[in-house]
Amino acid sequence: MSSVSIERSLWVLFAAFMIAVPWLIPALINAFWVSVIAEILIWSLFAASVNLLFGYVGLLSFGQALYFGFGMYGVAIGIQDLGLSFWPAFGLGIVASMAMAFVTGIFAVRLTWHYFAIITVVFSLIFYFLALTNKWLTGGDDGINFTLPPTVNIGGFRLAFTDATFQYFFILVTVALCFWLMQRLIASPLGKAFLAIRDNDVRASLIGLNVYLLRLIAFVLAGFLAGVAGALFAFFGRYASATYMFYHVSGDAVVWAIVGGAGTLLGPLVGTTLFIIVREIVSTHWEHHSLIVGTVAILVVIFAPKGVVGLWNSWTARLDERRTASSGAAKLRTEP
Amino acid sequence: MDKLLLLAMNGLIWGLIIALIALGLAIIFGLLDIINLAHGDFFMVGTVLAWATLQTTGSFWLGFLVAPLIGFLLGALIQRVVIEPIHNVAALSIVATFGLSLILQESVRITYGPTPGRILPPIGSTIPLFGVDYEVYRLFAAAVAILAIAGFFVFLHHTKLGTWMRAVRHDPDTSVAMGIPARRVYVLTFAIGFALAAFGGVVAAPITTVDFRGGVDILPFCFMAVIIGGLGNLPGTAAAAILLAVIEGVIQSVADPTVARITSLVLMSAVLLLRPQGLFKGLTR
Repeated sequence: MSSVSIERSLWVLFAAFMIAVPWLIPALINAFWVSVIAEILIWSLFAASVNLLFGYVGLLSFGQALYFGFGMYGVAIGIQDLGLSFWPAFGLGIVASMAMAFVTGIFAVRLTWHYFAIITVVFSLIFYFLALTNKWLTGGDDGINFTLPPTVNIGGFRLAFTDATFQYFFILVTVALCFWLMQRLIASPLGKAFLAIRDNDVRASLIGLNVYLLRLIAFVLAGFLAGVAGALFAFFGRYASATYMFYHVSGDAVVWAIVGGAGTLLGPLVGTTLFIIVREIVSTHWEHHSLIVGTVAILVVIFAPKGVVGLWNSWTARLDERRTASSGAAKLRTEP
Repeated sequence: MDKLLLLAMNGLIWGLIIALIALGLAIIFGLLDIINLAHGDFFMVGTVLAWATLQTTGSFWLGFLVAPLIGFLLGALIQRVVIEPIHNVAALSIVATFGLSLILQESVRITYGPTPGRILPPIGSTIPLFGVDYEVYRLFAAAVAILAIAGFFVFLHHTKLGTWMRAVRHDPDTSVAMGIPARRVYVLTFAIGFALAAFGGVVAAPITTVDFRGGVDILPFCFMAVIIGGLGNLPGTAAAAILLAVIEGVIQSVADPTVARITSLVLMSAVLLLRPQGLFKGLTR
């Protein structure tokens, strides 16, 4: 079997599994794991926002929690204080994080590498402390709890997150849509320009790319992904809290993205899944699950420095090589 | 006015301790290109070792010897087991040291326990200063921190090992060609980095709390000192740490601590944007 057909069958299996989750998982384990999987989907979208910047543009952001937090608060404040319904609140969360990413990005993308990493942490810390002190607006550490309005309410027809199956599919479809958009983006000329900047920003500017503007666009798009994740997480948990803006949350996403495989579309999903599943399984049996999580992180970077997906890619590449070698005269690969 | 001087004094002392820790971070960062997310936990391990020494031997002073020594050995071990295999790749170092940070915090939580504790100042007496009874231990801590920082720079500039460290940082390939055992210098650097943070932990233990999360707040502060001081500029790093802490202390005399923290963060972003090469570029060699 060639790697392409292996990957295609894995995709079909994966898609079928994700659709079957609300019925399959309660039958096999229990209903709690459906919400764990929904949570994994949300966090992997958040890790994807780190991956878009680091894996495709070469900017390591340690402050993505800021935009996640704005997504959360956009939804919570929209519903609780402004009395918005579901969709406008969702929109407010996304617009708030993109606007924030735009404003901070104007300054942040002037810097690169270590400096960029530090200024993104500094920005996120500023707003973390602001959120902690301005309790009247944000609720500080305790956060804001709210009752969720229905998602669809046309005539007598209502769909709401109180229905666990609807909640799961809403999250699945939204996250899948974002990953699909990201794949389209990377395949587009804009995405190729991002890769050019990642590989060599001087050469990219010499062939006429506006490096500053392109980095800013990437930063706002990453803010969009983080904002959608934050908004979804607010709907999912029915609350928003300043704790999700702390730099630890950003750091988690960086680790998930790199462990899964930075610069690969599904790397963040794989890394996030690995860590959350390990955490959930071990924490029910053993209080000190952090020891296992820490060990896994170290082992992955030592034995799979390109991440889990990178390991898979080099394995399939070797498989194809062996196939072409064994089929006698190696066929020349021609560009279509 | 007294309040301002008092808080500036507290800031200065805290800044000297932070400078000590940040120097450890700066050599690891500068020489190994390792972004060490576990550095705050190295400090935290120092505070716990101070507590453990006090519990087992009854003497706080012994901690000044025990903590950096154990820190040094732990640092050497960690470099060999965790850091060396990732070949100084900065992105991987983030993940590896994140894992390390979790392991250190959890190990302390298991052994020391989850509740923060306090160590009473080993020098109980106070002197009148700026209108209050000021703890003598704080002044002593400042003196020890200054001595340790001075000692570190003497080591760096006037011993063979220190010269090797600077040489490997300057040009690893030529250093190896000249016969400097670069691999051992890497181990040494990481070990000294840990030892400095652990020493800072002992000095700070009677001033702050002993807690397995004690390193979380220290970490961004140390990174800011390293960046504002200028990457690779060690005197700059120390100066930036002191400056940051004093500024925060001064602002605290008119506003609450969170506002002070926000103001210093805003100042820091201004420095990063206007002088990304560090505040002190051009002032030192």
